[in-house]
Amino acid sequence: MSWFEKTPLGALKQKFDRDGWQGKAPEAAAPIAKPRESLRVGIPRVLNMWSTHQFWIGFLGALGIDSRHIEFSGDTSEEQARSHAKGRGTVDCCYPVKCVSGHYGELLARHKRKIDILLSPMVYSLPSFLNGHVAASLACPRVMAAAENIKAGFVKERDAFGEHGVRYAAPLVSLGDRPVVSRQLYGALKDVIPGLSAKETERAVDEGYRALAAYDRSLRAKSREVLEWCAREGKGCMLVLARPYHMDPGIGHEIEVDLQAYGYPVLWAQYLPTDDDLMQWMFGAEIAEGHMKSPWDIADVWPSSYSANTNEILWGAKFAARMPWITCVVRLSSYECGMDQPTYSPVQQIVERSGTLFFSFQDLDSTKPAGSVKIRVETIAHYLHRYSAGIIEKKMAASPAGCPVARV
Amino acid sequence: MLTVGLDVGSTTIKALAAEDGAPRWQDYKRHNTKQAEMVLEFLARMQADCGLAPGRDRIFLTGSGAGLVAPLLGGKFVQEVVAVAATVEKLHPEVSFVSEIGGEDMKTLFFTPSGEGKSKQVFMQSACSGGTGTFIEKTARKLQIATEQLAQMPYDGLTLHKISSKCGIFAEADSNTLVKSGVPVEEIIASLFEAVVYQNLATLTKGNTPQPQVLLLGGPNMFFAGLQQAWRHHLAKLWTERKIALPAGAAPEDLILVPKEALYYACLGCIEIGSGEAPGVGVYAGPERLREWVEVGQHEQKAREGASGLVGDPQAFEHFMHCYGGPRSEAPAMDPAERAAPAFVGLDFGSTTAKAVVLSDKRELLASCYAPSNGNPIEDAKAILREIRKQGVERIAALGVTGYGKDLLKDIVGADVAIVETVSHATAALHYFPDADVICDVGGCDVKIMILRQGTVSDFRLNSQCSSGNGAFLQGVAERYDVPLEQYAERAFEARAVPALAMGCGVFLQSDIVNQQRKGWSREEIMASLAAVLPLNVWVYAGQLQNLAAAGRKFVLQGGTHRNLAVVKAQVDFIRGKVPDAEIVVHPYSGEAGAIGAALCALDWAAEGKPSRFRGYELIESLEYTSTTNEHTTCNWCAVNCKRTFIDVRMPGGAGRPWSKVPLTEGWERVISGNSCPKGLVEDVNEMKAVKEKLEEAKRAYPNIGELVRENAFRGTQAEV
Repeated sequence: MSWFEKTPLGALKQKFDRDGWQGKAPEAAAPIAKPRESLRVGIPRVLNMWSTHQFWIGFLGALGIDSRHIEFSGDTSEEQARSHAKGRGTVDCCYPVKCVSGHYGELLARHKRKIDILLSPMVYSLPSFLNGHVAASLACPRVMAAAENIKAGFVKERDAFGEHGVRYAAPLVSLGDRPVVSRQLYGALKDVIPGLSAKETERAVDEGYRALAAYDRSLRAKSREVLEWCAREGKGCMLVLARPYHMDPGIGHEIEVDLQAYGYPVLWAQYLPTDDDLMQWMFGAEIAEGHMKSPWDIADVWPSSYSANTNEILWGAKFAARMPWITCVVRLSSYECGMDQPTYSPVQQIVERSGTLFFSFQDLDSTKPAGSVKIRVETIAHYLHRYSAGIIEKKMAASPAGCPVARV
Repeated sequence: MLTVGLDVGSTTIKALAAEDGAPRWQDYKRHNTKQAEMVLEFLARMQADCGLAPGRDRIFLTGSGAGLVAPLLGGKFVQEVVAVAATVEKLHPEVSFVSEIGGEDMKTLFFTPSGEGKSKQVFMQSACSGGTGTFIEKTARKLQIATEQLAQMPYDGLTLHKISSKCGIFAEADSNTLVKSGVPVEEIIASLFEAVVYQNLATLTKGNTPQPQVLLLGGPNMFFAGLQQAWRHHLAKLWTERKIALPAGAAPEDLILVPKEALYYACLGCIEIGSGEAPGVGVYAGPERLREWVEVGQHEQKAREGASGLVGDPQAFEHFMHCYGGPRSEAPAMDPAERAAPAFVGLDFGSTTAKAVVLSDKRELLASCYAPSNGNPIEDAKAILREIRKQGVERIAALGVTGYGKDLLKDIVGADVAIVETVSHATAALHYFPDADVICDVGGCDVKIMILRQGTVSDFRLNSQCSSGNGAFLQGVAERYDVPLEQYAERAFEARAVPALAMGCGVFLQSDIVNQQRKGWSREEIMASLAAVLPLNVWVYAGQLQNLAAAGRKFVLQGGTHRNLAVVKAQVDFIRGKVPDAEIVVHPYSGEAGAIGAALCALDWAAEGKPSRFRGYELIESLEYTSTTNEHTTCNWCAVNCKRTFIDVRMPGGAGRPWSKVPLTEGWERVISGNSCPKGLVEDVNEMKAVKEKLEEAKRAYPNIGELVRENAFRGTQAEV
């Protein structure tokens, strides 16, 4: 038994793994009397959905739900909150969690393409490429619990789901722990999706992982192409270190797009290339010297590696420090994020020690700080323009010869 | 026997004295931060008017200041919500929702029938000004609307504009923007009422629907007719949307009550609850102990709690004044001998003034000048260049521009470089203090911290979102106390002790000020403590720099707020506390730093041997331009609808704007002015298309992985990129 399994959270996890779990349905579950091919499933485009999207599309598709019938809510916006979350708000200090009310409201309010099911998975752990090299790949507990917290605002007085003829399903799922996933999803969805069997759930889970892995692979390949282009052109690019949901224009405010417009490609830590040749070039010497166990080991900089998103941000910082053509790192973080706060200094230090420019945009919430972003972006652009060539040169000098992305 | 209910609130004192259930005396008055003193005055009048007698009469107190006052008077403290709820239950058994808006807090109460009685749910917010009375009054004061007038201003039938509802400080900024773009004040006030109701409904209902009947309490709800209208509008709408059944024949408006005696509900509740107490409880002990506290006790308490004053050790203070208290440096007048020499000019276009400096090829400051901005960038540029010419500068060898509108003006005046503000400030500081490690620029609206390593900016923190660290907050508080900003330091240095204010968000700070006032701190002391807390806000809260020593040891202070010596003293004390061997200097040309930086960058540019693109005084003076202000130039990006002006300048090689609603032929360039936000610099959807196309081109050339996720990760059919 690992130490983690002995903790209360660990014990809870074991219970979930054993029994499966789903948020209490607002009313006695009546099976949906509709053939699967005409079912419409609404999914809020929030939080962990930003890194598990393709799993759900693949999973539902394999169950015979038409991909055109999967309705994601729109991007987070103040307008969305004003029209759909009024009076539904719940107490939560996390801004991205607060926004979920608007997404629920928007999905329920759809008249055309009315949804039958609102699927809001409570993701306990995440599939991460660092899995196996870190202590755990858990989701932020506040983010995981968001589904239940937000639901409360919709059932407090009257059951808003029932009134709209929508079945609410919030399966708890340990996506980072594949063997238990089918059982969890079958347990949670068997009364929601008509005629669901354990066997087909198992197949659909396979399909979900396959789709997610394929998507991941294609973006990592794209990132590698970008780096190869940079090496060929002798140009710098920029890496965003943030949580996946900062890709939502209402949460991350597309700050990186403004820099992109100055002529710098943008990579995200979630989709960096992890090919063996590159990993060997970047980390080989340090592994040989015993500083780290594998290219995906982050114990040297972040010993308490339990959170999947945090782990990937730290790993991204290590990657940036060793990649000559990443001349600038942009850190995004939401208002008072308790998960991010302890990482500010280590991430900055790792990046700056390598001579890479580091800029951070913290405490993001509903307002895009338009004026200050513009000034910051221009300042960053000024120094990127002035220093990129020097930074590439300096980082090259500190790296081993024969970088795989420069060989093309 | 009298029973007194006394409500010691954040802005007013309210009292009600009753005898055998019949009211005998009532009054309310603003206390202007002198809570305890005003309570004494009330007690004296009650004694004179209706014979309030110690040892016989009883007194029950509520409100934010009651905790302190109650024991001193022998009275009993009653929690505010409990007091209000008691009155509501007694007088309005049919009410199921109460909104009470106070000066600095807001509450909602839900009454739900349960069994025999009613269950109560209370939600309160007192840590933020959003949605409170201050939120409205603060902005109204800025708009110079008298309270009596504000009370009569309507909500119904007016066009509403977007005003941030979450923070009083942002709301004030939004209002300024609206004023600048010519929105009538009536509409701004109506929008404020809208924001308050929105904020109350959004944050203080927590998933409950306010059901009829509704009771509106507290000063703002009572006095502002427009706020009542806004509530009626929103509640009626909510009831229709949520299909709430109304009693037969009742119009929604009839179900929203604003009782005339609303101000005294907390007092009434005190009396109501007091009447149920045992006879010996709450017997008035007379004003002596409170008077003693006012005269002596509060000072002792303050001395115990407070940090020492800003001045501190007199000898050290003398030394401080010797180092920092001298007159400010002024730019020299131009020496006639230098007139023919090549001049390197920097222009800094601010929102209120345009500034210029002239440097020699040896980087010495030869002259500086100002011109007030009149909102037309072409005229601003002409005016400031005229000033430079007046100084006798004959030959401009290179020209740098910085500040607002730099990109537009670069081509029009023929500047050689357009430099972003942060870079120009850093360059200017490094010129005077080459060993500078940290630049701290505190302006009226933003805080910039630039960290330098080996002569380059390695990091900077910019905060223009939060008002706590910037000068505007000090200014706001000085205004509230009617102290001219120039006298700020003098007044603050008078304080011998200062209360310890908590660092953080300006709104929390405001609550904290109220808190300290309650403890009896004077305005001088509070002003001193605000200056004292500013460094914490600047460095730790806004700048997120916990470890100042890691940033360096030579600190340059610049920006308008550092003209306030109280701030400089606090900065010096703070920085020395963190970095004992720190060297702290105030930039000699604090206001001109931006222009100096631009001129220095122009010098660097000229060092590459290129001739200046400057168009020459004559050409700029005779620039042919037309301005257009009509329905086609109005900005439609948001509901503010700024009345913009398009200034079209004849320029060889100008690209023209054939797609525009106000078309422009080749050989002309357009400058847009009168917009209140950067968005307005883009003409309309046509230009957006043109800009977007360019942006799309950039995006295609320089991919963004996040953009790919946004585009295709949520599409089922096309998973592969």
